[in-house]
Amino acid sequence: METTNNTDKMLKGFFSEQKQEIPDNGFSEKVIRKLPEQADHSWIVWIFAALGMVISIYLGITLGLVQHVLTVVQHVPYYYLLAVVFWFPLVGSGVIYFIQKKHYQLI
Amino acid sequence: MMSNTDDIRWVTQVALLGDKNAFDKLTCKYQSSIRRFFLNLTMGDGPLSDDLAQETFIKVYLNISAFKGISGFSTWLYRIAYNVFYDSTRAQKHYDDIDEQVIDNQHHALNEFSAEKMDIHKALKILRKEEQTAVLLFYMEDKTHKEIARIMNCPLGTVKTYILKGKEKLSVYLTKAGYGNN
Repeated sequence: METTNNTDKMLKGFFSEQKQEIPDNGFSEKVIRKLPEQADHSWIVWIFAALGMVISIYLGITLGLVQHVLTVVQHVPYYYLLAVVFWFPLVGSGVIYFIQKKHYQLI
Repeated sequence: MMSNTDDIRWVTQVALLGDKNAFDKLTCKYQSSIRRFFLNLTMGDGPLSDDLAQETFIKVYLNISAFKGISGFSTWLYRIAYNVFYDSTRAQKHYDDIDEQVIDNQHHALNEFSAEKMDIHKALKILRKEEQTAVLLFYMEDKTHKEIARIMNCPLGTVKTYILKGKEKLSVYLTKAGYGNN
């Protein structure tokens, strides 16, 4: 056991003596210059978002959904609405906390 | 002090937006350790190790969306570096024919930063390729057994065996060479 520890110490000492930090000397710049250009597909997101908005506005107007929602909101007691507004940040931060916790565990 | 959180932020920026500035930060942070890893695996061949390191970073950029975050970014990066190195050795059969003297001369001419540290390459040459990788990752790059198993894509027990055998061989070699007697 002691021999193993001594060997470990000797090897750790040997490798740490040999360990060197290599200066960048333009290496990173060369890598960045050689990176291929990737096509930007973000326009797809905007097209779908716009399409979704147009469809929802059209359905909202033709099916009377907007008026229905407004009527419901008018009949809901104001403290219900306040409760929803106050709870929203709490629930939101709780969700973010759990997502981040999971994320850090994965790392 | 840059943390793993920085890595994740930069990786996300690269994966979602193709942000080259974020990738530059990742390259700057890891270039030294990856180039050192290759420099030791190629027994001090500076130009070859830089080519392999460059290939590694380009592969990382192209496949960054495949990074799941299950292991740290550093482990994933070393895994790609390990694959690049073994693909290169398989393709070229380069390392069986390495002339030690040529490398030594090349090293003195092109790699001044490591010219005085040739002992490590002589010591590493007594090990098998897998033992060299495992020993370098463990003692030089401070990786754990579990991380090395992920990098080399082999069972934990196999990694432990590689390190143990490497340790025994190096211990005998260094003792014979008089290391640690001073």
